[in-house]
Formats: sequence, structure tokens, C-alpha cells
Amino acid sequence: MMNPLIFVHALIAEAGLFAFLWVLVELLNPTETRIRRAKVAAVFGLACLLTAWLAGGFYYVEVYGSQIKPVIKGSDAKWVHSIVMEVKEHVFLFLPVLATVVVTMLYKYGEGLIKKKDARLTAVLLAGLVFLLGFSIAGMGAIISSGYRFALEAGLV
Amino acid sequence: MNPKALTRAAAFTIALIALATIGSELFASFKQLLGSIGGHHWIGKSVLSIFFFGILYLVFARFSDDELSLRDTWLLIGTVILSGLAILIFYVLHA
Repeated sequence: MMNPLIFVHALIAEAGLFAFLWVLVELLNPTETRIRRAKVAAVFGLACLLTAWLAGGFYYVEVYGSQIKPVIKGSDAKWVHSIVMEVKEHVFLFLPVLATVVVTMLYKYGEGLIKKKDARLTAVLLAGLVFLLGFSIAGMGAIISSGYRFALEAGLV
Repeated sequence: MNPKALTRAAAFTIALIALATIGSELFASFKQLLGSIGGHHWIGKSVLSIFFFGILYLVFARFSDDELSLRDTWLLIGTVILSGLAILIFYVLHA
């Protein structure tokens, strides 16, 4: 049975990533109303990513290391931990930093983003980067789950 | 808030995360040091990333104007791509 923490971690993180996609779309052709909505979406997205950081971190330290990692590493799919999980857990740390920059851009410039093209393009590019990087990490999470199931079904442990 | 300082602090923090990740695999004593921060090396890296993001922002805010340019944005995006690739290539080679 799936640990509920993994479900919470994945669900909240993906909600946060879609919030940054929402920010990107609002800023493509910004108006005062769209910037107000983008601010709400960005704060919601950052809050989701911070919550996912805590939930995923707790699961990784308390559950994954003792229960999941030994099963994966004892199978033919040990690369799932030694490459995919290692990359996922470290590249994830980029996301809260990038998301903080997006939120700050929105609150620093506010409606000024309509005229300040450099700041707007920065917010758009970074929101898009959070979305793409985040869903790459979500894909890695799916590979890790598959690797664990493979290890269990192979009956090698 | 100074957006130029924040963008530069973000770029340096992400590069430091990549360096700490690779460094902790190459030097066991560094991994132990990170582990001593919060009981696990990943918590150590998480805490240090927050700490350095804050410190680096204060340093850059002191020495730079607050006029953001796209050069800073591309520096940050380039750092994210290179740092991510460095981590990926390192673990592929050391798997």
C-alpha cells in the first residue's frame, strides 16, 4: 500500500507546479487583474512547494531510507536509487529558490510588470522553468515508484 | 527587495547546492559534516541552501544596484541547467 505521505507530497507539489504554469499564462499578456491573480497563484505555488519539501523530506529521511532504498538497491534496478533518486532529491532543492524569485518579482514590480519587459520576461521564464523542472522531478518520482514495484515483483529481496 | 541581488543569490545558491551534492559524495568527512546539521546529509543541504540564499542576498544587495537586467536572468537559468546536468552526469558516472 502506498504511504499517504507520498500521496500528499506528490499531490501538493503538482498543485504548486500548476500554480506556476498559471503565473506564466497570466503574465503573457498582463493586465492589472491578471497580475493580481498571478500574485495569488505564485504565493499558493510557493506554499505548496514548501509543504511538499517538508512532506517529501520527512518521508525520504524516515521511510525511504530504511524501507524502500534497500529493496531497490538489492534488485537489478539499483540504478533507480543511485541515479534517479539521487538526482531527484538534490535538483528538487532548486525549486523553492526559483519559486521565491518569481514571487518576489511579482510583489516588487506589481502592476509595473506591464511596462517593465525585462522583469516580466524574468518572471515568465522562471515560472516556466519551475514548471518544467518540477515535472521532470515528478517523472523521476514515477520511475522510482516503478523501480520499487519492479524490485518487489522480481522477488529478489 | 533588490531583484538583481535576489536573482544573483539564487544562481550562486543553486551552484552551491550542486557543489555540496558532488562534494559530499567525494569527501566522506564533508557528508558527515552535512549530516551533523540535521541528522541527515540531505537535511544539511536543505538548511544550508536556505542559509546561503539569505546570506548571499544580503551580500549582493549591499554591493549591487536594484536594476534587474536579462543578463542576470540568463545567468540564473544557465546556472540551473549546468548545475542540474553536473549532478546528473556525476551520478551516472558514479552509479
